[in-house]
Amino acid sequence: MSDKEKLFQERFKRYTVALECGKPDKVPVVFPLGEWVVKYTNTTLQEAYYNVDKSNEIIGDVIRDLDFDVMFGAINLWWPPMFDGMDCKLYKFPGIYFEENSGFQYVEEEYMKAEDYDEFIANPTQWLATKYLPRICGEFAEPGSYRATVALIKGAAAFAMHNDKLTKTGEKWAKEYGIVSATTGMTKAPFDTLGDALRGTKGILLDLRRRPDKVLAACEAIVPHNIAYAMITAAGDTSLPCFAPLHKGAYPFLSLEHWQKYYWPSWKAVIEGLWALGKRTFFFAEGDWTPYLEKIAELPDKSIVFCIDLTDAKKAKKVLGGRFCLYGGVPTTLLTYGTPEEVKDCVKRAIDELGGDGGFVLAAGGVVMSDAKRENIVAMIEAAREYGVY
Amino acid sequence: MVENKMKSFVPEAGTCIPWKIKKEEFGVLAGNEEIVKSSWEMLDALAYAFIWFWVQR
Repeated sequence: MSDKEKLFQERFKRYTVALECGKPDKVPVVFPLGEWVVKYTNTTLQEAYYNVDKSNEIIGDVIRDLDFDVMFGAINLWWPPMFDGMDCKLYKFPGIYFEENSGFQYVEEEYMKAEDYDEFIANPTQWLATKYLPRICGEFAEPGSYRATVALIKGAAAFAMHNDKLTKTGEKWAKEYGIVSATTGMTKAPFDTLGDALRGTKGILLDLRRRPDKVLAACEAIVPHNIAYAMITAAGDTSLPCFAPLHKGAYPFLSLEHWQKYYWPSWKAVIEGLWALGKRTFFFAEGDWTPYLEKIAELPDKSIVFCIDLTDAKKAKKVLGGRFCLYGGVPTTLLTYGTPEEVKDCVKRAIDELGGDGGFVLAAGGVVMSDAKRENIVAMIEAAREYGVY
Repeated sequence: MVENKMKSFVPEAGTCIPWKIKKEEFGVLAGNEEIVKSSWEMLDALAYAFIWFWVQR
């Protein structure tokens, strides 16, 4: 076994012991990968988005001399050539729509209409393939045409190519740097699946008043799919948690009554369904989830990793600590607007308050985007090693 | 003209065209069914992930 392989095993054990609410030798620390790494190079964001190999070179230069355990995030979360090949309307990237150093943008619309609910609920996968894809992709304007057929071939090929690149990249970080991936696979809360990319924010909020039964029925219909999607995208892995970015469940987007009735039951069903298969959920609770902590505590022990962004950390520790691994402790805003000294103080405080008896992973509380400062990221990692020894 | 043998069905989660549906369309398989089945299911899962990818942003 090489030194890097030994290092990987050591870090993997450190991380997974914490996920199981145990106390490892040190508090595991997570490197927050994001677009911020690009601004310290001569590369444009457009090139980093389009060229996965180039973005990997950039990441390699940044992480080479840093001592951390786990990597979370990506530069190439969405690979623009796949979207270009199908003329997909969901995202706009630098290059065609924006100048080359702009970030990507999501274009939210009611891609699923209110009158589509019944057909979607009856056969979600078929509805997505035959109704949704033609609506979101310009090249599919005439399904079955030459243009549509070629676009489908390109889209599927790009999907397979990009997934292969991501898999190989994870293997490279493990083999050459001894770094562990934070998660494997992806899922979402059914309410977010429905509200983000199908009905849109305005659509689903109106639906809560005008057709609430349809919202509930659609969320129920999505539950088995979000379990299946998680396991397929994780390639069956159960050693690491499944990434679950949560959007419309943060307080106060929904009232407590609406959250309990429309958001939580189907999301809880996905988490419990995954846990029954041995898969833990990476409960990526961006924003504030403080009012919902008691409901979250109803989940089976250890079935989630609860990520603290703006949630009251002390209350999260009190309500969830010991039964669920807690993750976070450093606000993303501090990594952008703070100083290295402030970041170090924050890390020390987070470890004291959240990590004293194990079951804690030190990380940024949310996705770190392009505006973070490199010196603050380095300060976070160094402070975690300084204060995070048990 | 090719005979249309395709049945209508609701695929269970994780599948687009389940093996049991396609197997009926193939009829009796002359060789090793397991090899055909496992390859079918692997590609079917990839197609499923592709279709659902667009709403799991």
